[in-house]
Amino acid sequence: MSVPFLIWLIIFKYLPLWGWTIAFQDYKPAKGMFDQAWAGLKHFKFLFQDEHFVRVMRNTLAMSFINLVLGFVTAITLAILLNELRKVAFKRVVQTISYLPHFISWVVASSIISTALSADGGIINDVLMWLGLIKEPILWLGEGKYFWGILGVSEVWKNVGWNTIIYLAAMTSIDPSQYEAAEIDGAGRFQRIWNITLPGIKSVVIILLIMNIGNLLETGFEPQYLLGNGMNVDYSENLDIFVLKYGIQMGNFSLSIAAGMFKTVVSFILLFTANNIAKRLGEDRLF
Amino acid sequence: MIKRRFWLSCLTIIMLASLLSACSGGKGNSKAVSPSTGDASQEEKLDKVTFTYFNAVAGKDINTNETKIGKIFEDQTGVNFKIEHLVGDENTKVGTFIASNSYPDVLVPGGSIDKLLSSGSFIPLNDLIEEYGPNIKRVYEPYYNLMKAEDGNIYFLPMSAVVGEYISAPNIEQGAFWIQRRVLKEAGYPNIKTFDDYLNLIREYMKKHPGEDLTGYIALTTQDQFFALTNPPMHLAGYPNDGGVIIDMETHAASDYGNDEITKRYLQELNKLNAEGLFDKSSFVDNRDQYLAKIASGKVLGFFDYRWQVGQAMNNLREVTQQTGNDDLEYMALPIVFDENTKDQYLDPPSFVNNRGVGISVSAKDPVRIIKYFNNLLTDENQILSNWGLEGETYSVDENGRFYRTEEQIKQTNTESFRESFGFKYFEYNWPRYGNGSTLPDGNSVGAGRQPEVAQMSYTEADKKLLEAYDIQSFSQLFAAPDERPWYPAWSIQIEQGSPAQIFTQKKSDLQRKYFPRLVLASPAEFDKIWDEYVKEFNKLGVKDYEQLITDEVAKKIDLIQGK
Repeated sequence: MSVPFLIWLIIFKYLPLWGWTIAFQDYKPAKGMFDQAWAGLKHFKFLFQDEHFVRVMRNTLAMSFINLVLGFVTAITLAILLNELRKVAFKRVVQTISYLPHFISWVVASSIISTALSADGGIINDVLMWLGLIKEPILWLGEGKYFWGILGVSEVWKNVGWNTIIYLAAMTSIDPSQYEAAEIDGAGRFQRIWNITLPGIKSVVIILLIMNIGNLLETGFEPQYLLGNGMNVDYSENLDIFVLKYGIQMGNFSLSIAAGMFKTVVSFILLFTANNIAKRLGEDRLF
Repeated sequence: MIKRRFWLSCLTIIMLASLLSACSGGKGNSKAVSPSTGDASQEEKLDKVTFTYFNAVAGKDINTNETKIGKIFEDQTGVNFKIEHLVGDENTKVGTFIASNSYPDVLVPGGSIDKLLSSGSFIPLNDLIEEYGPNIKRVYEPYYNLMKAEDGNIYFLPMSAVVGEYISAPNIEQGAFWIQRRVLKEAGYPNIKTFDDYLNLIREYMKKHPGEDLTGYIALTTQDQFFALTNPPMHLAGYPNDGGVIIDMETHAASDYGNDEITKRYLQELNKLNAEGLFDKSSFVDNRDQYLAKIASGKVLGFFDYRWQVGQAMNNLREVTQQTGNDDLEYMALPIVFDENTKDQYLDPPSFVNNRGVGISVSAKDPVRIIKYFNNLLTDENQILSNWGLEGETYSVDENGRFYRTEEQIKQTNTESFRESFGFKYFEYNWPRYGNGSTLPDGNSVGAGRQPEVAQMSYTEADKKLLEAYDIQSFSQLFAAPDERPWYPAWSIQIEQGSPAQIFTQKKSDLQRKYFPRLVLASPAEFDKIWDEYVKEFNKLGVKDYEQLITDEVAKKIDLIQGK
């Protein structure tokens, strides 16, 4: 039964790996694969020796980590809160509102964000001034140190509703008789959450965590690209933007592939490490 | 059961077969369409044919024969073009063309033209022009040296070949320091020449009008438009827009002015302006829409930019003026320089931009028909048609044979919907053409916008008053005439993809994007310290090699132009 899928996998997932050879060439699009000039490790050297590389890696990892932690905490919290709601209509309204931003493209979303953060008449500055917390409007996107925070909050705003769906699904599989039994034993609401709901979704959480750790280097690039500017570049530029600037925009496809290879290898290592740790701890794991 | 399986496999085979034939259908059809047109002298009416045409700017897709002008061309040649415009990112789109090795018949790329050239996407045009393009030859032959690639072939036709006497534009189409007209009005229309005077004018106006929520000076700094912040030092020092470099008039040596005194002086002035609260800090975080909205709001007193970047906002302000007759919020362009005795060079010298153009792709079904169409476009009559339109309808001719437009015709030809349906929008540019500033043998301008009569007619009452105050007939008269610069513009020099020079320009831009905001927004006491830090970083990037490369290329271009 699985043979067709295996063939599909080989054709579409393994054969393209042949394209990795481009990373070791000075690739020119019009020429055939064998007419290319070989360049050895030149592109890897350019990538790792560039002084920006350390900064770019730091930003990539930092933003990923922030997104990972914030994403998990907010999504699980919201899922638990939603699960506790008794009024179905209210629950639906909250769910719909919270996952709507997921469907807005980052181009539109970043425009909304930069308007909200604007120093002339942006709602965030207006509210803070009205509350008397600040005297002068703050140039939110002009200060590098705010950027990670802004990005984290934006990601949460955009994706929290969507991310709760899977946890809510996991919670529906918990046997209601457990809750009844706990109630009879005198467990309060928080005790029920702590002792039944959370252990009930633990396996889902761990598997998602392992998968997300594998994706640590994939921060996405749209929000960073669209919200980034000269003043916050030290904090906003990530690996993908670096590759876009020095690889794709310059027609240097080899550099892009080299960066892609690097990312794949690192992701591979991270994924196996996380999976291994889960195994050692005797938890559910991916494979 | 067996029977069912048999039918199922039959179905599968049929579906597979139809899929395969659908995939290969494109090529099969294209061959069938191409008529044989080997014989140039053949006068008989040719079959109608539609070619595809890709233009790397955003716009509305259309068939050329759906426009009035395009229909006339179709009647003349039997050729129709299906125009496809860019959606999304140019490099991505062009990348997919290259990767699939299948192109539209005709391509008008922007900055991605290097990629197409290095991938061999265009066919050489030399023989085709020789055989079928007498008009193309007439217009482009003086520029052949500049158009030839290193292998001696011509792969695309640029759009800037000047025919006849060169005339410069009556209005400012390029860069300038803009100032709101009410500022000039209140100051009694002074003659402003230096940067200091210009900024002082803004300072005074701001002082007299506190509490009006005005912005003194604003800048555009977004991703692709950062040059609007970095270019002014070059203009202030009395040079035209050569990009990131200044070319010495005597020695023709290129100098990257990013670390020069002029850049420091310019940024220091902005820094002072900021310390006085006259510079809009948001300039460094706003996106382009926010910037344009601010200008269109009429609250900004001054800024530097190129007319084509802010056209949308200025047109909005103009609409207000046309209703009220009060031009207070509109802007006037000034040729500002650092020192009183520097000659300004804001107006473009006659130039040949040889890294943009229209080419025929290797996938083109019938290059001969296309080149004949191009050739047909380059008659005087058809150039009049694509720029002026039809006599009596979109322009008139006076007793001396001068072309002009009545007020109504001006109004009509300025509306976007009319320009689309008539075809001006599609034929004024982007095809082989007489370049900007060209004239017809009878002395009329080829482009309607450069005909003085048309410019005069399109001035509002308020415009005329302003011109009178400065004792000039057109706005460009305030600017000095351009000196001859055979290499101009240096920004069109092609830099090899991924070469050290290109990496330098990227790194420079990264560095400036980081430091310029800091320099402008720092407290004046810290300015020098940050500047030194910036220059130190700048000098690490290998600017000398880059300057040498541009100097060599400029010399090459001058030799080519002088036919050496």
